[in-house]
Formats: sequence, C-alpha cells, structure tokens
Amino acid sequence: MRLLAQDLAKSYGETQAIDRVSIPLEPGRVHALVGENGAGKSTTLRMLAGVEKPDQGEMSLDGAPYAPVNASDAAGRGVALVFQEITINRSLTVAENIFIDRLRRFSGRLGLIDSRRVNQAAQAILDRLDLRISVSADLESLNLGQWKCIEIARALSTDPKVLLLDESTAYLDHREVESVLEAIRQLKNQGITIAFVSHHLDEVRSVADHLTILKDGHWVGSFATKDIAPDDIHRLMVGRDLSKGIYPPRPSVSDREPEEAIIFEARNICLGQELIEASFQVRAGEILGLAGLKGSGADGLFCVVGGDRPKTAGNMWLLGEPFQPATPADAWRAGIAHLPGDRTGEGLIVDFSVLENLLMAGFPRWGPFFDRRKAVTQGRELISRIGIKAAGVDASCRSLSGGNLQKVVVGKCLATRPKLLLLNNPTRGVDVGARLEIYQLIRDLVNRGLAVLLSSEDMPELLGMADRLLVFRGGRIVHEFLDAAATTEHEIVRYMT
Amino acid sequence: MSDSKPEAVTGMGKSVPKGVQSSPLLPDFATVRRFFPIALLVVLCIAFSLLSPRFLTWSNLLIVLEQGTVLLVAALGMTFVIMAGSIDLSVGSIVALSALTAALTSDSLGAAAIIPAAVVGVLAGLINGIIVAKGKVPSFIATMGTMVIYRGIVLLFTKGAPVSIDGEGFLSTFADRTFGVPHSVIIGLILGALAFIILNRTVFGREVRAVGGGERVAALTGIRVVRVKVWMFAFLGALCGIAGLLQAARAMAATAQLGEGLELDVIAAVVVGGTPLTGGIGSISGTMLGVLIITLLSNGMNMIGVDPYLQNIVKGTVLIAAVFLTIDRKKIGIIK
Repeated sequence: MRLLAQDLAKSYGETQAIDRVSIPLEPGRVHALVGENGAGKSTTLRMLAGVEKPDQGEMSLDGAPYAPVNASDAAGRGVALVFQEITINRSLTVAENIFIDRLRRFSGRLGLIDSRRVNQAAQAILDRLDLRISVSADLESLNLGQWKCIEIARALSTDPKVLLLDESTAYLDHREVESVLEAIRQLKNQGITIAFVSHHLDEVRSVADHLTILKDGHWVGSFATKDIAPDDIHRLMVGRDLSKGIYPPRPSVSDREPEEAIIFEARNICLGQELIEASFQVRAGEILGLAGLKGSGADGLFCVVGGDRPKTAGNMWLLGEPFQPATPADAWRAGIAHLPGDRTGEGLIVDFSVLENLLMAGFPRWGPFFDRRKAVTQGRELISRIGIKAAGVDASCRSLSGGNLQKVVVGKCLATRPKLLLLNNPTRGVDVGARLEIYQLIRDLVNRGLAVLLSSEDMPELLGMADRLLVFRGGRIVHEFLDAAATTEHEIVRYMT
Repeated sequence: MSDSKPEAVTGMGKSVPKGVQSSPLLPDFATVRRFFPIALLVVLCIAFSLLSPRFLTWSNLLIVLEQGTVLLVAALGMTFVIMAGSIDLSVGSIVALSALTAALTSDSLGAAAIIPAAVVGVLAGLINGIIVAKGKVPSFIATMGTMVIYRGIVLLFTKGAPVSIDGEGFLSTFADRTFGVPHSVIIGLILGALAFIILNRTVFGREVRAVGGGERVAALTGIRVVRVKVWMFAFLGALCGIAGLLQAARAMAATAQLGEGLELDVIAAVVVGGTPLTGGIGSISGTMLGVLIITLLSNGMNMIGVDPYLQNIVKGTVLIAAVFLTIDRKKIGIIK
C-alpha cells in the first residue's frame, strides 16, 4: 500500500510540534524518519497511525483519502503502529501479549479462553518474522529485542499493509537490534510498507530504502538512502557541519602519560556468575570503555564498583586505599559518581526540581540544616556550566527534554567532584546536539584528571569516546584494546559474540 | 516538545502511561488541589456556625485545638513517613504504650515522665524502622504486626484495667492552662514548628522527600535510604510518645483502649492535608489543616447533635471526596 502524507501540521497549545511535513511511503519499501529529539518524528508517525489528528494537511492511502479518527480505525484500513515504549506485560504469556486486546475472540463455550487456539494463531504470526521465538517460551528468558518483536507481532495480528515503528531499537543492545532489523527485512520481503524512527544512522542505512529528515518540526527533505552520505544526514538534522565527527579529540596512545596515577584498580573481582575474576586498572585522565552484550559483565561490574551490590570475591582499591563499599552511599563518599542507565527509574526524580536533583548526591549543609542559599548558588553554577536549558533552578524536571534531563544527571554526578565517574549509556535517547555537549564536557574533565568507566550499547560512542576498551563475554574480560581509536566495530563484535 | 523520549524503560514490561487528562468537570486541577483543604475548612466553619451559635466561639476554638492536639502530634510524624512512601499503622498502639509509661512514671518523675514516654515511643518506632528498612518487610504489613504486638504489651501489663494519674507536677505541666490556653496546645504548636523546620530546612527532610520521590534513585545517588527510613520511623515514634503522654494527662489515666483507631484519623488527616500515599510531596502546613478539618468535623457534628453512627459515614465520605478532588493523577498514573 502507498501511504502519502502532504503538508501535515500540528500544534499543542503554543507549541508548533510539526509544520508542513510530507512523507511518501512507497509500497513494499522501508522508510526511515530521522531527526533530533523534538524534531517531530513521533508526532508524524502518530498522525499516520490515527493516534493524533493533524490540524492541517492531507493523507491518502493508495489514492483514496485517509483520515483515521483513532488507532483502531487506522488498523481497520491496514495501518498499524508499534509504540516506542516497551508494552509487554510480563504477567501474561507470549501469545496473550500478542492478542491482549482481542482475547475475547478466542473464547469458546462458557466464555472460557481456548488457549490452544490463541497459541496457534500467535505462533503463525511469530513465524512470519522468522525469528524462532516460540509462544511457549518464558518471557523472562527472552531479551528486549525479542520483546520488541513480540510487539511487532501484536501489530501484525491486525494484518496491516503499512507498519509504523516508533524508535523500536532504542534501549536494545547490538544483538537485540539485529533481531528487530531482521524482522523488518522479513516483513519488507512480504510486501509490507514500513516506516520507522531511529536515532542510529547505521540502522537506517542498513534497512531503509528512503529516508525523511525532520528538524524542529519542519520537513528538511526526503532522499533515497543510497544517494545521501551520513555526514550530510547529520548536517541536515543538526543544522551544522559535523564532518569532523561528534566526538572530541583524544590524546593518541603515544601522547598518553604512562605515569598518571592509578585511580582505581580491581583484582579478580566476582559477582556470582555475572562477573568472573575481572582485573583492570583505570588511570587519571583516561576513559576506559566496557563493551559487551547485556548481562555479559559490564552491568555487574558497575553494580560492584558503585556499591549497589557487594562483590562475592576479589579486591578493589580506590586512590591506593582498599575499597569495599557496602552501599552506593559509600561509593559516592569515596569519590565515585554513578550515572545509571535508566534515566527516570534510577537517574533522577522527574517530579522534583532541577535544583533538588542536581544536589541530591550531597545537599549543601550547615550542621544538620539544608543550606538553601549555597544550594542555589551551586545549582546556578552547574546549570550554566553544563548548559541545561531550564526555566530556573526550581523548574520541575518534568518540563525538560530528554537531553536536558540527562544533563541534569550528569550535573548531579559532577556536583560531588568525583575522582572516578561511572557512565552507563550516558547518551541513550539523547539527540546529537546534546550528545556533543555531553561528550565535550566529559572529555574536558578527563583532560583535567578525571577517570571514567564508560559502558554503552552504542558502539560508535564507545569507539569514539574511549581511550582503552575492555570486551566482556559471559562475565569475563575476554580482550583488551589498548587503543580504541585504532579498532573497528567489527573487531569488537567478534570478541563480544 | 512532542517528541520527548520514553523515560522508563529498563523497568521492562512497564508501559509508560501518557499523562492522564484532567477531568473536564474540574477545569483547573492544580488550583483545586492547592486550595481544597483551606476551602473545605472555611466551608465547614461557616456551615457549623450557621447551625450552632456556640460553634464559632473562643472557648469552643480552644476545645477544638485541645481535642486535636493528640491527632496533630502523631500526624506531624506521619507526614514524614507517608512522604517517604511508607505507612505506619502502629501509631495508636505506640500512643497507648507511651501513655501507660507516662502514667506509671508520673508519680515519681512528675513532668520528667516525658522522657520515658518519648524513649518508649522512639524504641517502638526504631523497631518498626528496622523491620521495614533493614528487614525489607513492607511497612503496611510490618506495622500491622507491631500494632497488635504493642497493643498486646499494654494489655499484658494492665490486664485491661486503667492506670490512673494523680501526680500533681505531671498534671499541672501537661493538663493545665495558662491564660486559658491549654499547655498541650502550646506543646503541639511548638512540635509543629519543629517538624516544619526539620522537613523543610534540614538535610534529613530533603532526604525523606527524595526517598519518597524515587527510592531507587535516592539509593543510587548515595542517600543512605535505610538510615533515613529508620530515623523517620523513630521520629514518628517519639512524637507518638509525646501524643500518648498528652492524651493520658488529659484523661488523667492510661487505659488499654487508648488510641484505638487513631491510626485511621492520623492517616486521614495527613492525606486530606495534601500528602498522597505515593510519597514525594506534602507539607506540614497541609497536615495541620487536615488535623483541623478532621477535628472540626467531629466537634461540629457533636455540637449540632448528629447521630454518632451517622458521623462515621460523613467522615468516610469527606476522606474519599478530599482524595478524589485533590489527588494528582498526572503524577501517579496508575492507581491501585
């Protein structure tokens, strides 16, 4: 099916979310929507899927006018949307998750649900994706990528001709992303028209036939993927030249000071089976990258070093002193700041003000009292230093964009003047503009002697930011790259899997 | 900003609700929420004073304040606990235990009986805090258990018989009036000011708020969550200790039934005052208003002669209506 959108516009109150956006979805082709946060990608998809109504503009489906009143109307016309949030309900089975809103259809006599029929129907859909996911599989044994595929299967259960995927690969690791991309390729071969939103240009280039670039709610252009260079895509998205790369320059291996003080050292530390006999050192002025699939050891390492869970064996030293944190508080007090991977679940409290979040790791005090004046001074300083765009120190974090929220978490870590900074996916879901600023900030601090452990599912980020790289597999460190700049994604993946 | 990122995702399988639209019946929710308690108070005062000429008098006001003091003192501590996202059902039993302690020591210690009463309260609170924070037993269950246990200790000691108080020094300190103002009311107001300062002006108060706003975030940010929770329960225990002493002084006796059902009034006062059970937000001034509303409601209904059985129905209705109108559904999202 061909879905054309012409000059769509939508505003929320004062804010013009998108303005004159046009998208041509060709039958049986994959079309990517790219742009920074707030560019209007999700809004556009939601209008195509009938979740939101455009204020202006027209849409047509195979030449016929198309103006869905809601999502199920759109589904009836053959257009289905997969939301960006994970919506798998872990109390249900795989099959029940796929048919969650239509289980009634499978009820037999007495109104009881015939689970055999549900399973058969679900398996038939999963087989279309060719991913070898069994309906009888335990949800907990599947990875996030497979969960995403179950959500795609749910969308497929309405038998759509046009499938819209809103940032399906955010939060997935390398292997998980691959299963989603594979599913997209399968569906394309079956003649389904697909549009998807992604922050990752390599994904876009590997599956999309066409792409549309949005910036600040405006349509910048639609291109055939093979006709446009990645640098040009970046430039059009951000509105400035990024050909020099988005990562700040780092010292070459020969320039590195071998005599820099060792900030942190681990010898044979273990965490059950999650982390097995890890030994490494990190020096002042160095970013040590940790590569690996989810659960391969880097997460466990962060838990141990950050004091979240006690190690089961081994020894650690911080600044030459034995280090044995019983709680995260011990780690912070000793000079370790931790930026967790889940921004709103672990990083900050969105209902609280910018100030309260920034200073949570160490409220300025005067005896037992909270020193508000000092807090405001410190807060203002951090806001201007990190470039947080907020209405003021007392603005609620709920009013901030994803990139600004992450800057608040970064600010919280820096407020304590740490010696060692643990970064877990520091730019997850953060747009290129804010990424640049965060990278530069971290590199500046590292140049002034901060030591950083960086774990990321974003491989280009690891390669672009780390000085040295450790690769984890099955809980063990399986390889060390002394010069991250000299290696390739391909080489790292070879050790990871 | 239409394209904000999904923020909660590693909590896998948790769908993130989009902001729930405010009810069309109530156009400006924020305003309703902010001014509801004070508006309710004004409405109650007007209604009762129209129905009874004795209601809006100086002497009745003092009676209301005196009646509300025990509730207030316990509710001040409960505000901390609820703000941190916990609950304490054992407050009525701690009040009874401390009242008994005060009664037993009032003859020999006089006014200094406040020390053993508060110490017993702190100990009971510490036990609650340790079970909840260290033992990781949900506070609802943990304090439901200690509610029965503490009450059991009182019954075991008294065998159900009241312990009367006739220590002159004790009664003149806690049950007397100066210039017509009951001492208990003065003590309650001083404690209110103290609680206000602790909640808003100390690091401990900020930490309690942070634990309620997001316990996992607070812990990973280096706040000693276990310690904060234990001290918060102990603080509530101390205040319940003083509440028990004041109650005993007023009744000139400690009975085994003293404080029974108090936990419901305390929780109601805190919630009506604008502190949701989900934690993270709340205020001492709100709790004071809540206490006034609950107390005025009883006082006024008694004064105009409402059937005591009917009074319970009215109180329950007010509690539900208050929460219905003031709860911030945008922040809570899923209500269980």
